[in-house]
Amino acid sequence: MPAPPHQPPRPTDAELEILTVLWSRGPSTVRDVHEAIARRKPTQYTTVLKMLQIMAEKGLVRRDEKQRAHIYAASRPQEWTQRQLAGDLLQRAFGGSAKSLILGALSAKKASREELAELRKLLEEFERGAS
Amino acid sequence: MNEITAWVHRPLANALGWALLHFVWEGAALAAVLATVLFVIRPASARVRYGVACLLLAAMPIAFGVTLAASLSAHPVRAAAPVQLAAPPGFDSVADSGTAPVPLRLRNVLPWLAPLWILGVAIFYARGLAGWLAVRRLRRRGVCSAPRCWQERTDRLCARMRLSRPVLLLESCFADVPVLIGYVRPVILMPLGCLTGLSAQQIECILIHELAHIRRHDYLVNLSQSFVEGLLFYHPAVWWVSRVVRAEREHCCDDRVVEMMGDARGYAATLAVLEQRRFPAPQAALAATGGNLMNRIRRLLCQPQPSPTSAGPALAAVLLLVSCAVALAAWPARAPVPRWHPSPVVLMQTPVAAQVAANAAPTPAALSEAPQAAPVVTAQAQAASPQPQTQPLTDQERKAQERALRQQLQTPYRKWLNEDAAYIITDEERSAFLRLQSDAEREKFIEKFWLRRDPTPGTAENEFKEEQYRRIAYANEHFGDGVPGWKTDRGRIYITYGPPDEIEDHSSGGTYQRPAEQGGGATSTFPFQQWRYRYIEGIGNNVIIEFIDPTRSGEFHMTMDPSEKDALRPKIQIVQLHRDSGTQIGVVIPLDASGGTLDVSGEVSTPDGRIVQTFERQSTGQKECTKLLALPAGNYRLVVAVRNVATGVSGRAETNFTVQ
Repeated sequence: MPAPPHQPPRPTDAELEILTVLWSRGPSTVRDVHEAIARRKPTQYTTVLKMLQIMAEKGLVRRDEKQRAHIYAASRPQEWTQRQLAGDLLQRAFGGSAKSLILGALSAKKASREELAELRKLLEEFERGAS
Repeated sequence: MNEITAWVHRPLANALGWALLHFVWEGAALAAVLATVLFVIRPASARVRYGVACLLLAAMPIAFGVTLAASLSAHPVRAAAPVQLAAPPGFDSVADSGTAPVPLRLRNVLPWLAPLWILGVAIFYARGLAGWLAVRRLRRRGVCSAPRCWQERTDRLCARMRLSRPVLLLESCFADVPVLIGYVRPVILMPLGCLTGLSAQQIECILIHELAHIRRHDYLVNLSQSFVEGLLFYHPAVWWVSRVVRAEREHCCDDRVVEMMGDARGYAATLAVLEQRRFPAPQAALAATGGNLMNRIRRLLCQPQPSPTSAGPALAAVLLLVSCAVALAAWPARAPVPRWHPSPVVLMQTPVAAQVAANAAPTPAALSEAPQAAPVVTAQAQAASPQPQTQPLTDQERKAQERALRQQLQTPYRKWLNEDAAYIITDEERSAFLRLQSDAEREKFIEKFWLRRDPTPGTAENEFKEEQYRRIAYANEHFGDGVPGWKTDRGRIYITYGPPDEIEDHSSGGTYQRPAEQGGGATSTFPFQQWRYRYIEGIGNNVIIEFIDPTRSGEFHMTMDPSEKDALRPKIQIVQLHRDSGTQIGVVIPLDASGGTLDVSGEVSTPDGRIVQTFERQSTGQKECTKLLALPAGNYRLVVAVRNVATGVSGRAETNFTVQ
């Protein structure tokens, strides 16, 4: 197996989708990846296979050829890629103006350390109470 | 430049300027109405509070529009009006409509407000648009469909909540918390790893919360809310009301989750776990003190709310006074100008007043001051009307007086609702009770209320009712100290859950051997009590509730924070110093000199959560830590944390203060 290049390039949108599947499901066969992607939009099996091969060359994914069905895994953790792409999207969507446009169980604003400490205590107490 | 000058002197710019100026007090008045109504209907469900807040937020652009229309019709836009550059004669139309006493300076400046405002709105909307585009990309980039079983579970929940639109569940590598995007084709984005890292029940809680947002059309409301925020961006009242809407919206969805899952504590824990999971993400923001997560969790864990803030009504009173003053100053006392003098005021306040009446009439004002409240309210109602004797009463004043009178009559029922049955009445029963029209109906309701709870309906005695009154009497006798016992935290818990199975009493404070779960070791504490209940229905087995008395006044309050009883918890003293160089604030934090090295950190923020200043100190063997702060006048919140470097024991305290 060729050693992955030192610094894999930024993934394209289509590659990012495949990476997301790999992060979500863990190391998967091409069939698994295809199954997950095809549920959102019609995609050919061969397209996914081709893309995975290209991504392996770029060093974005690793291929395990020990078994008959090759198993692919993301070569970098999600956080790493996230940081690579963070500049634009993440900041804008969660940090800036869009904060108030999304709805969620938690606010887009992070809790402070003190609040987290308080939360932790609360949880401990809860677990004590529940046991 | 010339074109701007020319445009500025058109009647439209002038009318806009007036509308913008008038909205200063209109907005304040509407916010004051909201604060008052929220205070009055405090115990009402989140849905009612949300409705009221939305209504008032919607009233804001309406008030602005009506004022604009009215001031336009007062100075009609003449087609191709000659540009009137010469200052005073050019403003005769303004002078005509009864604004003569306004200082000349203001009249010259006024039209310039319009272009500034347009610029501001443009900036806010451009920002909003950019955000919207970013959010749209978020649902396309770095997502993959969730495992089939979870999509199916989502579909089942949709069916249960009777949602007609299909909801897509995606996993996103960018979202660090679960979010909902879109209205027509809603999508729930789950952070990667969330679906595998949490229990099925926890995920279901989150899904219900997001689906509740869809069910309630929150995405659309939220967009219109952003629209209003941008339009009237310059008024803090708009932002405040908008924030109330946001907070109550989350409460509504929280309530829905608890309603469907029935496990408030489990859900609170889920929220806490989610918040913890997101923390190691790239930018670990230290700053945010705001966020209402803690409030929501507290709300979930201990309903009804322990002690509502007293800031609401005070703020309302101040806002109302200020806006009255502004209104009086802006409207010189003279014969009413028929066309636009009264119209904006009446037009925009009528629906609001009706709303207030609808909500407030059957609801007692100032619940906490049960017996004395009514006369006070009357006095305030009279004081609030500017000239009570010289002019015949306006409709609104008469309404206010009627309302006060009605409240006086209702005292015994109010006492029943807010004292006798306060902790056991359900939200539905409460709103049903508030809808009743006559005393006879109320009597009947109360009778039925007790009857429903009677464990032995056949007999003459109602054991439940007797026990309830016994508990109230016990609480008043044992826990009252300045405040009536039933209102204290211990009273509330006693009345709601009955006598505890076990009380661990440390009323004298002093040394306390901490249990291992809390870090172990010996610590010095404030007086505190732990109540243990073997079982509480709906909460669980072996529930321990802690009450502490940090002021040693005998007034114990409930705490969620096991470290709060720690005497290391800093006390904060604030002194205002007047120096030649200006006012300075001195913060004095007395410390335990024998405790070794202590880390002291402080954070000063404004009431809206913006951090103004932070400081950090390390102290070894000093009796106190002092810090001088130069702050502009205003209200602030100071949070101080003290941590013993050697033992890791820490304490935290906060205080509010005002710089004059």
